[in-house]
Amino acid sequence: MITAGIDFGARNVKVVILEDGKIAARGTALTGFDLKIAAKEASEMALKAAKLKLDEITHITETGIGQGSVEFAADSVSEVGANAKAGVKLLPSARTIIDVGAEEARAVKCNESGAMEDFVVNERCAAGAGAFVEAMSRALEVELEQMGPMSLKATEAVPMNAQCTVFAESEVVSLIHAQTPKANIACAIHDAIAERVISMVRRLGITEDVLLVGGLAYDVGFVDSMKRGLGVEVHVPEFPEYVSAYGAALIARERAKE
Amino acid sequence: MFDKFKEWYDNRHDYAQAWKKRTGGKVLGYFCTYVPEELLIAADILPVRILGSHEAQDVTEPHIFGMFCPFCRDCLAQGLKGRYDYLNGIMIAQSCLHIRQTYSSWVKHIPQEFSYYLYMPHGVQTPHAYPYLRGELAVFKEALEKWMGRPISNKNIDRGIEVVNKNRQLMKKVYEFRKQENPPLTGLEAMYMVVSSQMVNKEEHNRALEEVLKELPNRKLNRNTGTRLMILGSEDDDTEFVEMLESLDSTLVVDDHCTGTRYFWNEVEPQEDRLAAIAARYIDRPPCPSKDWPERKRFPHILQLVKDYNVQGALVIQQKFCDPHELDMPALRKMLEENGIPTYFLEFDVTVPIGQFKTRVEAFLETFALPDLF
Amino acid sequence: MVEIKYQTKPLDIWNEGKALRQQYYENYAKAHEKGGIRWAGGAWAYSAVPAGLGDDVWSLTGEPYGASVAFNKEFAARCQEAIEAKGFARDLCAYLRNYLGSVVLDEYVFGGKFPKPDFMWTTHICCSHAKWYQIASDLEGGVPFFCIDVSTGLIQDFSERRRDYVVNQLLDGIDWLEETTGRDYDDEKLIQAVYNECEATSLWAEICAMNKTIPAPLDEKTMYSLYVFGTIMKHRPEIVAFYRKLRDEVQERVDNKIAAVGNEHRRVITDTQPPWGFLEIFRYLEKYGVVSVGSLYTFSLIGAWEVKDDGTWGPKTTPQEQGIDITTRRQALEILADWTHARPEWQHFYSAQEKSDMMLRIVREWQVDGVMLHYNRGCEGLSLNIAENRLAFKEAGVPVLPFEGNMGDEREFDLERTKKAVDSFLELLGVK
Ligand code: SF4
Ligand code: SF4
Repeated sequence: MITAGIDFGARNVKVVILEDGKIAARGTALTGFDLKIAAKEASEMALKAAKLKLDEITHITETGIGQGSVEFAADSVSEVGANAKAGVKLLPSARTIIDVGAEEARAVKCNESGAMEDFVVNERCAAGAGAFVEAMSRALEVELEQMGPMSLKATEAVPMNAQCTVFAESEVVSLIHAQTPKANIACAIHDAIAERVISMVRRLGITEDVLLVGGLAYDVGFVDSMKRGLGVEVHVPEFPEYVSAYGAALIARERAKE
Repeated sequence: MFDKFKEWYDNRHDYAQAWKKRTGGKVLGYFCTYVPEELLIAADILPVRILGSHEAQDVTEPHIFGMFCPFCRDCLAQGLKGRYDYLNGIMIAQSCLHIRQTYSSWVKHIPQEFSYYLYMPHGVQTPHAYPYLRGELAVFKEALEKWMGRPISNKNIDRGIEVVNKNRQLMKKVYEFRKQENPPLTGLEAMYMVVSSQMVNKEEHNRALEEVLKELPNRKLNRNTGTRLMILGSEDDDTEFVEMLESLDSTLVVDDHCTGTRYFWNEVEPQEDRLAAIAARYIDRPPCPSKDWPERKRFPHILQLVKDYNVQGALVIQQKFCDPHELDMPALRKMLEENGIPTYFLEFDVTVPIGQFKTRVEAFLETFALPDLF
Repeated sequence: MVEIKYQTKPLDIWNEGKALRQQYYENYAKAHEKGGIRWAGGAWAYSAVPAGLGDDVWSLTGEPYGASVAFNKEFAARCQEAIEAKGFARDLCAYLRNYLGSVVLDEYVFGGKFPKPDFMWTTHICCSHAKWYQIASDLEGGVPFFCIDVSTGLIQDFSERRRDYVVNQLLDGIDWLEETTGRDYDDEKLIQAVYNECEATSLWAEICAMNKTIPAPLDEKTMYSLYVFGTIMKHRPEIVAFYRKLRDEVQERVDNKIAAVGNEHRRVITDTQPPWGFLEIFRYLEKYGVVSVGSLYTFSLIGAWEVKDDGTWGPKTTPQEQGIDITTRRQALEILADWTHARPEWQHFYSAQEKSDMMLRIVREWQVDGVMLHYNRGCEGLSLNIAENRLAFKEAGVPVLPFEGNMGDEREFDLERTKKAVDSFLELLGVK
């Protein structure tokens, strides 16, 4: 059976196609203003890679923002529900799955079968995490991809006021003026975001294993900050950005069987 | 000569633990300066005020909703992180809602032998508050006696009153020096002095104060006094901020803070009924804004300080989300400005962006340097 | 979508309620035309006490007024702007800002100029209460203001001595009322108002208790429109009459299994005031067969409860039911103080645990499947300890959804985000 999941992220739309439960292809496109166009682009990319046609897919489940905006999706699931499903599939021992993307952060606690038990979503305090790293990389004049590796070279912890984005931004500027090494600033930025995210996740209570997914999981600096902040091992799957889409595809498969 | 106070402040936990070991006594952590330390001292307890540590933290989110003031969250973080594990007990005197949550969560999640919520009235302007608080103190005294396993005699209470009153008198004397044209102490030193008094044995603190008072008359600071500022508003022990401020050609000469004058300004006036005497002291003290109604009695008091200390400008600071102070702020600023005192407003968080605040305060201070036109 | 299981119909009494509410705001606005008196104060105020000044005494309570402003989003935005321009912080109580903004603009949300009160009469339990009317008095050029400190703690601690503190203030208050208005005070009217208030607030509890039945005869969205009478004039005879009728009608619904929501499938409760401009969130839940059967807030801000012989919550027995004959001013005030301070929604100001226990009781007795906690940025008073309440639900294994918002300031509520969070919650409840 062939199923698919579409995840509408704030930045990118992601598609995962499953053939008999195995990932056959992935596709992505910028979300832009028109969700329909983005969904079409991303699905075409995935279909092409899988050498399939749209009507060969038995069931499509969507997740993320703008649910209900594409007619070829049969139904929907929340991101936390999708993450729970996919997370446990990727790492059977995972019980806490933390998802940090461009605009949102969320976390879900689940059982061994990937059913969600509790979740936190959409907290202001952790919002805009990915976008924040981007803005700060511009302020530091370093490539976004370099933020992570650079952060690992930090020699000293510079404390940062992590209470609100606006304050933090002006603080980064003062740090630059004070000639603080860029590596230390990058590390401080990651620590600050990690702290906001962790603060939110603590509401769930941290149950191991912890799996980190979403776009920011590519950033090794951020992952390191999360490990230090949580004081436990933090696992990152391959293609962390596609985890919600993967979960949606898995759920599509379950629902198709029903 | 003020180093002792800073040392106490910086090493508050070491101090309390050493005190405990040395005396075998009990240490009680408290929130809010409406707690009657006289009775605690009478029971041979060391009262220590729980304050934050001004570090970013991620442990209070499950316990306190983010719309409450950073101070109450910072305080709880200290408890959750185990920094106050040596406390034998914990108490609050009823004040604003925010800090009550710190107490509520603390009692629930951090084990202790003794906890007490003192129903300090809010209606401090009604005459019925005096007998009411007297009654509350009697109930509290009983609870303390039960906990300590021995009665608190009138003699004990007299000693409690005496030592706390003395502390108040001495600190007020030190504050007198701040009236001078070139005060021989900085606002930062004064802040360390008052806040450390909330953390250490009062007799020791009194001895240190007496030392300071001996030397102060001959002390000269090698610095410019600059603009004479008052600071007022929410809880504030942000020493880093004060240090920055006083590096900018200005001096803090007085304050209206619960980490400053509001803590020690008035004394217990002895009367036969000791508890009534203590009650009256707390009812009549310079109020926290949440108790300052129907009239705003705090305002004439502040104005008097402005006059006595020859204040030129006021920094009104407020902990983010601090409702009690937010509700007074517009009227307070209006009152000060109508009396010729320019004000400048700053919002504090657990940590403040020092660089940004510096630029802003500099701009405020520049307004005082402008030449008068005619 | 979820199948329709029960018969449903609108409340017969609905229009009567609507008219009553309209009449109330009009009576207040027009009080002076007939030589009457107007006063302003909080919904928590001892409103029965000024009733001793006469039958033509009308009040405007600030919280429901602030909520009415919130319904009118355009006007609310202007009120908030106006009060912020006066230097008041944006994170203060949203009702307070809506009310004071309306004063600053000198516009009444129901049309015309803001009707200035002759005096202000309130109580102080939330830190914003007394300050609210202190500021209002300033803004209106010094309207006389009296406030009673009621921060005497949990009801189990409400000893005679503590009650005396409150009663003595009320007695002073009566002298003050006479002085301020120049009228003589009539104890008979006070006594009648006390009987009325006890009956009305007990009736409201009785009505809420009927919602323990499945299907629920009332949903919370409807309850909001009905409980409001308890917040605007809980001591008046017309409310007693209205709640008696309502009680009978709800009883009929229970007897005939008439549901508020035909597809009731899961039952939830909420907490704190809802984001008034976005009650559609309840409709959204109903699409999936989820009905909110109430909250500690709707039940007990006004409702008077007691633990019955079988250990469950039921309406508090009134003094008249107990055969108590009130004969003196002091006795009337003592009874009123005992009655008032026992309200469940008063207890959480002192203890997170108390509130968690009460909410868990509701979960059990009202057969609730999940809890939606409105982390309400507009109300520090009722959001107090809400995070601890959430932990208590988690510990008890009750599904709980915290969502952030503001009861009166739409800038702090994000409908789409909230709906998304609700979606996840619906999955957790197994209905989506
Ligand atoms: S008075 Fe202000 S600073 Fe102090 S605890 Fe209350 S809200 Fe926080
Ligand atoms: S904050 Fe809440 S409890 Fe306090 S006055 Fe406002 S509405 Fe009432």
